[in-house]
Amino acid sequence: MASPRWTKLVRDVRSERGRLALMIAAIAVSLAGVGGVLGGYAVLTREIAANYLGTHPAVATLELEDGADAALVDAVRRLPGVADAEARDVIVARVRVGGDWRRMLLFVVDDFGDVRLNRFRRERGAWPPPDGTMLVERSAISMLERDVGGSVTVKTPRGAPTEVAISGIVHDPGLAPAWQERSGYGYVTRATLARLGEPPMLGELRIALAPEASSAGEIEARAEEVARWLAGRGHAVREIRVPPPHQHPHQRQMVTVLVMLLAFAAMALVLSAVLVATSLASLLARQLREIGVMKTLGATASQIAGLYATLVGAVGAAAVLVAAPLGVLGTRVLTGAVSRLLNLTITSDAIPRWVFAIQAAAGVAVPLLVAAIPIRRGARQTVRQAIDDHGASPDAPRAWSSTLPLPLRTALRRPARLALTLGLLAAGGAMAMTAYQVKRGWDASVAKVYETRSYDVEVVLSAPASRELVERLERVRGVRAAEGWGYAPAAFTRPGAVDVVRTYPDRGHGSLVAMGPPPGTQLVRFPLRAGRWLAAEDGGTNAVVLNHAALAQAPGLRVGDEVRLSLDGRPSAWRLIGVVEEIGAAGVAFVADAAFARAAGTAGGVRMLRIASTARSGEERSGIIRDLDRVLEAEGAPVESILPLAELRTAMGDHVLVLVRLLVAMAAILGAVGVLGLVSAMGVSVVERTRELAILKTLGAAPARIGRMLLYEGLTIAALSYVAGCALSVPLTMLVGGIVGNLGFLAPLPLVLSPAAAVVWLVLGAVATFAATLVPARRASALVIREALGRT
Amino acid sequence: MIELRSVTKQYRADGGGFTALRDVDLRIAAGEFVAVVGKSGSGKSTLLNLVAGIDRPTAGEVRVAGTALGGLDESLLAAWRGRNVGVVFQFFQLLPTLTVLENTTLPMDLCSTRSPRAARARAMELLEQVGIADQAGKLPSGLSGGQQQRAAIARALANDPPVLVADEPTGNLDSRTAAAVLDLLAATAGQGRTVLMVTHERDVVGLVDRVVTLADGSVERDVRTPGARAEVSHG
Ligand SMILES: Nc1ncnc2c1ncn2[C@@H]1O[C@H](COP(=O)(O)OP(=O)(O)OP(=O)(O)O)[C@@H](O)[C@H]1O
Ligand SMILES: [Mg+2]
Repeated sequence: MASPRWTKLVRDVRSERGRLALMIAAIAVSLAGVGGVLGGYAVLTREIAANYLGTHPAVATLELEDGADAALVDAVRRLPGVADAEARDVIVARVRVGGDWRRMLLFVVDDFGDVRLNRFRRERGAWPPPDGTMLVERSAISMLERDVGGSVTVKTPRGAPTEVAISGIVHDPGLAPAWQERSGYGYVTRATLARLGEPPMLGELRIALAPEASSAGEIEARAEEVARWLAGRGHAVREIRVPPPHQHPHQRQMVTVLVMLLAFAAMALVLSAVLVATSLASLLARQLREIGVMKTLGATASQIAGLYATLVGAVGAAAVLVAAPLGVLGTRVLTGAVSRLLNLTITSDAIPRWVFAIQAAAGVAVPLLVAAIPIRRGARQTVRQAIDDHGASPDAPRAWSSTLPLPLRTALRRPARLALTLGLLAAGGAMAMTAYQVKRGWDASVAKVYETRSYDVEVVLSAPASRELVERLERVRGVRAAEGWGYAPAAFTRPGAVDVVRTYPDRGHGSLVAMGPPPGTQLVRFPLRAGRWLAAEDGGTNAVVLNHAALAQAPGLRVGDEVRLSLDGRPSAWRLIGVVEEIGAAGVAFVADAAFARAAGTAGGVRMLRIASTARSGEERSGIIRDLDRVLEAEGAPVESILPLAELRTAMGDHVLVLVRLLVAMAAILGAVGVLGLVSAMGVSVVERTRELAILKTLGAAPARIGRMLLYEGLTIAALSYVAGCALSVPLTMLVGGIVGNLGFLAPLPLVLSPAAAVVWLVLGAVATFAATLVPARRASALVIREALGRT
Repeated sequence: MIELRSVTKQYRADGGGFTALRDVDLRIAAGEFVAVVGKSGSGKSTLLNLVAGIDRPTAGEVRVAGTALGGLDESLLAAWRGRNVGVVFQFFQLLPTLTVLENTTLPMDLCSTRSPRAARARAMELLEQVGIADQAGKLPSGLSGGQQQRAAIARALANDPPVLVADEPTGNLDSRTAAAVLDLLAATAGQGRTVLMVTHERDVVGLVDRVVTLADGSVERDVRTPGARAEVSHG
């Protein structure tokens, strides 16, 4: 026979099965979240590193004015401090999918049998690709709508549209997925490149260092040494590209997202621990008298505390058992989703042991820690407080509270519990509103793409064309307005040094372009963050306006500072007059077109055409784009890309929206935990006042009246939590909107406070409160007086 | 055995303090069976609570079974109480989810005074003594009031405490049952235990050694009742 106090605990617990299951479920759900995210973090950071480093990424790419031949590459390999080198090239071409032209990156490889840096792996089909064919990155298959055996029409800037067969599929873990970048990825030999109409020259020299450099700064310095050596040999280096070392292009985003998810899961865990604590407080309240009796019989406070702490520990342990497999499942789902998102191959989905250790420790420790408050309180209760029934209630309301309305006064009898319940409900409500408001903020940000731009088609040429082209295009049917802009790849420079840009070889991440809009452009209108926008007379000055993404690349710049840029390799100095927020763009430096022509030496030619069409639908727009394309071809303009603005929106990544959905799910959980907390708090409140309520009843209070009294109390708590939740949702929305916005747009999301969300939560909260109060109120009004006043 | 020296107890109340016991001096010898009587509100329960270490005096000293209770912290006090004082309540206060037997073994479990097996044997013995051994396996709700109070007395005696306090132990019982319970208490006093009992019963005079009458928090009368039991020496 077990010792009677444990027997008692087990029997008491058995009669509380429902409540106990609730506690275990609440902890298990949030703990599964913690475990899932933690496991995902462990596996993904390990795998992303393995995938990316497995490609032997070049730490720097030197762009040569002329091409690199085998002898030069060999010589560079032998340089001290250089571990390896390889010549490559990347051509921004176009590919026809359906009737439309899309962007396509062609990676040119000298020898597929000797790929040393930025390696990619054959998945199926040919290797190397026979001349005239190409290999395609696996994430580009769906975008190209073709697989091995099929063929697509590719057009390089200088070549004619050419049919190219797809001979194999490769996986290149160093690239962001093609469907995300809205860009096809093809791998071709030099011979194929020649067939596509481009000179078969390899303009990029990629290098790895030995010993490895510890920072981007050191990499830059050592790459510049190589560049100087090359220059000494007559090979001028136009630009050095240094991506963040050892980091997958999306690694930072991934880690940020995972950390945020973890924070929410941890918050859910704490809230469910609070739920456990309030449930336990209710149990303790009902057992107050029995605890008093046990103490009379010689039980010490620590014995009593030990009993209930064991109970909480057991609840935690049970939750851990339930949560561990769920967490593994969560990890699998998360790693699956993220690896698809980032085009990773998970080589091992083994979850390290420390994940389980933390999960188990958190599952037991967090509830214990939070429950320590009511346990201490219950165990410390003096015997007299527990068994003596002096007065109808052990907690006389504080004197100062007598001016407050009755339900509030009643709730205030237990300020700590009130705070817990309020906290639970408010956090749930705040989270729910935050999720919704972040979603609205996201929408508002996306809407800015259209609000700030009145054009809907953008044409980029690979070389400047005459301004007459603009008039030609304006005459195309369906074109409302067209503007010709100066356009050149750019870099922030230091005097006397080779341009260094912090970009990946896919040309997408962290790049900077300079644009020369015509004076008084009608097609864009970006909100100012500082200073002013370009004016007509700026054509004669060196004024430059940066967008926020460009500013992010040169942090610390202020309006009035000097900005040194190289435009297409030509150095120039500018004065920063303003900063604008341009959602959905890479870094852009805007200068007046006359100034642009001077600095870039384009003699007034245009390289970018922004066109406003009259199209009302995507199909109509596609038709207009096809017409534009025909005209451009007839004019012999070297088109690099023609993109509808809608494409830009998609490119910004609806995938971050997944995050918002996760937030909504998390908010639902938190809201549910909050309501459960209210149920349990109201339950306790009834139990504690059983006697008081019974007296009221004896005095003739109708059961309905007692029920109503409790309902008012519940509603008062809900109303307070509602106010707190609304208030809390503002900073929370700003915080989460800041993180999500920086991931998606490099700018915080606008704060959209949604009265609709507030109203919905108000209604939901009221209904939930009503439901939460119903059970205890029923119990209270059904209370038999004898039971309540008599004592067995 | 029990010694109160200028004990004052004040309760904190809304309008300042309320004095429930005022400068009470009381000595009770080992083996005495003492009844505490007085009007409602005179401080009887307060006195008992102080003796049982359930509450602490505002001033003065309480010594029970050779221990000055003021020197013990809450935990020590609980452990001390478990071994030295048995408490019997008016409303029995058996734990509803434990059987009568388990209720009786509980104090031994809490104070680790006996192994589970020995505790069971001891409990059965006590239940037999109070005459409800046949009810050992039942839950308290299945017992009559008198039987419950007997079980409560058995439980109070579990650790063989030198002092037993009982606050209106018969207050909730009919007069026949009450008489039987009083006899039982007298019997435990007869075994050399000091018993302090608050009661409203009129006819305990023949049973107890001494009747202490409280009025407004002070000892109004302290009367020895001759004859009922053997002479006891004060000490
Ligand atoms: N916790 C308390 N707080 C404030 N006053 C108290 C408290 N407990 C008792 N009192 C007061 O102290 C006085 C003595 O109370 P006590 O319970 O000792 O009386 P009693 O003699 O046992 O009465 P009864 O015969 O009704 O049980 C009473 O006036 C009571 O109102
Ligand atoms: Mg009393």
